[in-house]
Amino acid sequence: MLKKSHTQKNKFLIYILIPAFLFLGLFIYFPVIKGIFISFKNYTLFDLSNTQFNNFQNFKNIFTDQNFRFIQILFNTIIWVVISLLFQFILGFILALLMKKPFKGRGLYSALVFYPWALSGFAIGLIWAWMFNGQFGVINDILLKLGLINSNIGFLSNPKIAMISVIVVNIWYGVPFFAIMLLAALQSVPNELYEAAKIDGAGPVKQLFSITIPYIKPTIISTTLLRTIWIMNFPDIIYAMTNGGPANSTNILATQMINKILKFYDYGQGSAYGVVIIAILLTYAIIYLKISSKKGNDNI
Amino acid sequence: MKIIKNTLKIILLLLFLIMALFPLYWVIVTSFKDYKEIYTFPIKYLPSKINFENYKYLFEISNFGIYFKNSVLISLISALGAMIISIFSGYSLSRFKYNKAKNTLLLAMYFSQMIPTFMIMAPLFTSFANFGMTDSLFSLMVIYISTMIAFSTIMGKGFFDRIPVALEEAALIDGCNNMQTIIKIVIPLSLPGLAAIFSFAFVNIWNELFLAAMFMSSSYKMTIPVALNSFISKAGVSWGVLSAGIVVALLPTMIIFAFTQKYIVQGLTDGAVKG
Repeated sequence: MLKKSHTQKNKFLIYILIPAFLFLGLFIYFPVIKGIFISFKNYTLFDLSNTQFNNFQNFKNIFTDQNFRFIQILFNTIIWVVISLLFQFILGFILALLMKKPFKGRGLYSALVFYPWALSGFAIGLIWAWMFNGQFGVINDILLKLGLINSNIGFLSNPKIAMISVIVVNIWYGVPFFAIMLLAALQSVPNELYEAAKIDGAGPVKQLFSITIPYIKPTIISTTLLRTIWIMNFPDIIYAMTNGGPANSTNILATQMINKILKFYDYGQGSAYGVVIIAILLTYAIIYLKISSKKGNDNI
Repeated sequence: MKIIKNTLKIILLLLFLIMALFPLYWVIVTSFKDYKEIYTFPIKYLPSKINFENYKYLFEISNFGIYFKNSVLISLISALGAMIISIFSGYSLSRFKYNKAKNTLLLAMYFSQMIPTFMIMAPLFTSFANFGMTDSLFSLMVIYISTMIAFSTIMGKGFFDRIPVALEEAALIDGCNNMQTIIKIVIPLSLPGLAAIFSFAFVNIWNELFLAAMFMSSSYKMTIPVALNSFISKAGVSWGVLSAGIVVALLPTMIIFAFTQKYIVQGLTDGAVKG
């Protein structure tokens, strides 16, 4: 009797899983497999009758295109991901620490300070592109008024500065995410640990590194992993602000991929970039999880 | 010492607040300036008078009302769809006993998060074109549901993990079947989690640009992000109109976020992170 209801329950659990995987299978996994095939073919919207295997030409192009631009794009991607992630994390952590103890109006404060999270990367890119405008931009005006600069800066037109500008925007966008996650994690640290540390004479800094950070490490690992994947796959801000320019200075793998598709309608080439992105992310995720789980074991 | 510490804390909190709010303030101010005032020196930090010309342009000349309706319809239905489907998939993965199968399925869900949208765009488009189903709100909804299912399921699983199985067993003994147990016990107990799943999906779908841009060829079927995108490529549309469009685009997600923020936070942390 009991056994029967168990197998019944298992059957039921499998049945109710079907809709989700039906959608995922039909509209995510199947297209991505097709996309991988496309990456090995000539596949432009101009000539869909002539889509044949092209001897890895799309992949060869990635590495040899226009004087080895790939190295620059890869370098840009690494800078974009690492610097964005680092500052999003540090600033988000500081904000979470500041908000840890309850204060009057914390609910309202968090709604106001976390709202960028509900915006689209594209809209954010547009807002900041306007604020960074070289001629009528408000940021130039503020910096001039504060006496920090003498003349307007071309935040988005100067190839040396453009990457910094788009990264600043990405940091602005990502701080709430980390603050939200880390705040919740901080609140789960038992108070007794801090009290015990105080008795042992540990100061705030020592407490931070010997109690707080080790305790919330699982959250740190999963959020940074998730965030890395999102940032790397996130062309929206750059697309809205510079579209990879000027002179390729803000071109990352994701924007290069969408440019191949939106500008040249070359899905074969674009998909090849997609395959490279997925390969990098998979490798990264596996290595990251291996290293972090190993270190976790050492601690225990 | 304590006073210094507290003042420093307040200053830092204010700094974060100003940094967060200034872009919002600026886009709102810009949207209420008239064309001339936007491009004059010195830059004005408040419009000399509140001017609705940009909003008028949006709704009277550029059909923004229709795009708004499209976006609301698509986001609402797709987010509901993703939520309902992931109630079941999340519950299933939460109660599944075979760990190996469960972990494989979860990994498959996580993997779908790594796929760049542009990778699946052409295959989706050609598949839907085979059935003559591009340029349709319905097709876009189906695709959006699919893109949101993985994360919704992972979040849902986290919530359902926290509901004691004993409650369900009691309901089964009382004569409920499995489906009734979900509807009568599991769903009522996880309403905050469902609110989180719904609003997370809504915000993401509301903000999506590239798939909507590819699928919708008729201009009256555009969504708001697509309309904004078409503004920048059209010469002659000012930053004022664009700002007004952005303000209109921000409103719904900000309202939803303000109301469900608490649950989203809980959902993200319980579901996605620890789960």
